[in-house]
Amino acid sequence: MDKLFVISIGGTGMRCLESFTHLCAIGMFDNQEIELLTLDTDQTNGNKARTEEVIRLYNRVKTSGAVTGGTPNANTFFSAKLNLYRFYTNYAGLGRENYKNISKLFTGSPEQQKANKLVSDLFLENNSVQEFNLSHGYRAQTHLGCLLMYHGIIEAARSIAKGGDVQPQERELEAFVNKLVQAGADARVFIFGSVFGGTGASAIPVIPKALQDFVKTRSAGTENIDLTKAKFGATLLTEYFTFKKPDDAQKSTKDDSIIADASFFPLNSQAALQFYQSDPTVQKCYKFLYHIGWPLESKNVDESNPGNKTITGGSNQKNPCHIAELLSACAAYDFFTREDGFETAKAEYVYKAVSFKDNCFNFSFNDFTGSTNKAGEIFANRLGAFFSLAHISLTKNGAANGNNGIKGFIVQCENQKLTQYSTITDEECKEINDYFKQFAYTFNNDIFLPGWLYQVRNTVAPGTFMFDGKAFPTAPSELKKLDVGTIFMDAMHHWPKGGFLTDRYGTFVERLINSGPAEKQKVNTTKEKFLAHIYNAITTSQNFTLN
Amino acid sequence: MESVLAYIVTAITALAFLLIAVFTAKAIKFEGGSNPKDPRKRKAWFWVLAILNPIISFLVGYFFFMPDGNVLIVNKYKTALIIGTGVGFLLYIIIGFVLSRIFKNGKLGHWF
Repeated sequence: MDKLFVISIGGTGMRCLESFTHLCAIGMFDNQEIELLTLDTDQTNGNKARTEEVIRLYNRVKTSGAVTGGTPNANTFFSAKLNLYRFYTNYAGLGRENYKNISKLFTGSPEQQKANKLVSDLFLENNSVQEFNLSHGYRAQTHLGCLLMYHGIIEAARSIAKGGDVQPQERELEAFVNKLVQAGADARVFIFGSVFGGTGASAIPVIPKALQDFVKTRSAGTENIDLTKAKFGATLLTEYFTFKKPDDAQKSTKDDSIIADASFFPLNSQAALQFYQSDPTVQKCYKFLYHIGWPLESKNVDESNPGNKTITGGSNQKNPCHIAELLSACAAYDFFTREDGFETAKAEYVYKAVSFKDNCFNFSFNDFTGSTNKAGEIFANRLGAFFSLAHISLTKNGAANGNNGIKGFIVQCENQKLTQYSTITDEECKEINDYFKQFAYTFNNDIFLPGWLYQVRNTVAPGTFMFDGKAFPTAPSELKKLDVGTIFMDAMHHWPKGGFLTDRYGTFVERLINSGPAEKQKVNTTKEKFLAHIYNAITTSQNFTLN
Repeated sequence: MESVLAYIVTAITALAFLLIAVFTAKAIKFEGGSNPKDPRKRKAWFWVLAILNPIISFLVGYFFFMPDGNVLIVNKYKTALIIGTGVGFLLYIIIGFVLSRIFKNGKLGHWF
């Protein structure tokens, strides 16, 4: 079994990682310990913060006592163990704010300075590209970004090799790369990022090479990553969202002299794809490149931005999730579960199409994961089970309105004299509820806040999106009426009606009473057993086969 | 003979009430939420029926099955009816308890 690594780069990469984390939560990566690296220039980015918080929450849900982050399990929720590492290229502090300063153009002899300036001016526009503030990313200037991303990683390697004042983010990158070196030819590395923006588009072409050179620099040439053997894959995610054009007033300062203009995203995508199609380094480093695009009008993400300014980055950049990101996460699933195709010397470009009718997409479960090895059925089972449980916790047991949600299940078990889960604390229940809020929805002062799955579904509506439209109510009155056993479009996966004297929920509780965690699920702690127990009860209620 | 009738009436009434208690428990749906009230409802109904059982049992025996005979026979019947009512009450509780233990993880488990 190969060792799995994920690198997410830039704002879009972070949201893809968010989707990937939710795939892990529903249980798509059994028996795996996955190393996750977030890589950005903008450490305050809202999307990055949200994704890292989801991963931390995931780990808190899996943590029991001293076993931080839990252990890998099988056929249950939260089955993969996730290890998060964070690295950011540091552009804070005097002399590091922009290209001109960080590249030390004005050091050395007058001749050297002149030569440096000439070379820089040849590739990078003098007043804008060389002088904008780097702390919010590379702002669609990929020719600059590639250079600086590579520089940031090599700078970290030099700092580690030198010892002394090594920054925490450099240590985290080192820990991640150590695992990569250790895995050797068994490493499968998947990279999330866009090709139309700034940071992701800048980094995807250089990351394999940069990591290889990081290892060489840090070890003074004694260690290496063999790029012909390590398996790298990535998304080639073209434009799918847009935002308001920056006005001249906002661009008047040197810090903001360059701002990504969404109207150029299609052009950026086209140019990037031409590059990925022909660049020999990319073709040599990557085994699979997944084309993911959105052929309809790009979604405007400014709905959540009340100001007049274009958001360049920082904590305010919290774009809602899009189905293209879920598809990217599913591309990672495909890459990680592939059994062959890695022997080729040249990258293979992968793509697929989805049914499009009456001006909208209609997504089925197989569209996300394919049907090889029953992947579509497994995805339907696990996403459906997790979504049902989220609704039980948030809707039926009221966690979305401040009630204690999943605790209701423990009370339910206690009422049925199943007391083995009574040691799960209220705080642990709250963490599980909080995860469901991130996954599905919550209320804040009676205002409905859509979570990941609702946001993804909104990008497809009114087209079909795996589940029945009735499974996505937003009004409290509709939520109250929701039957959690009928979220699938296919009635075959509805919970049994129950017949005389009982209802769907009653038959589910009876299955809960009569089932339990199995040994092959490899669950050890009380919380893991509890989640596996619920998983089994929902799976059989949904008429899926327990693996 | 009349005494036997009294015992049969009270026993059948006790079993009928037990059957009603089982149906009632099954008919009360599992509730969600952090503080589901369904276990309390099942328990409450079990004890309401437990109290109603001797009352109904005695009234049915008294008004519908009272024998037409001399005082001695009637008194014998009344005595048997009172004893039978008590025994029926105990029977209801004992069988209820046994059922509750057998099906302790189900809805009947809420009785005790």
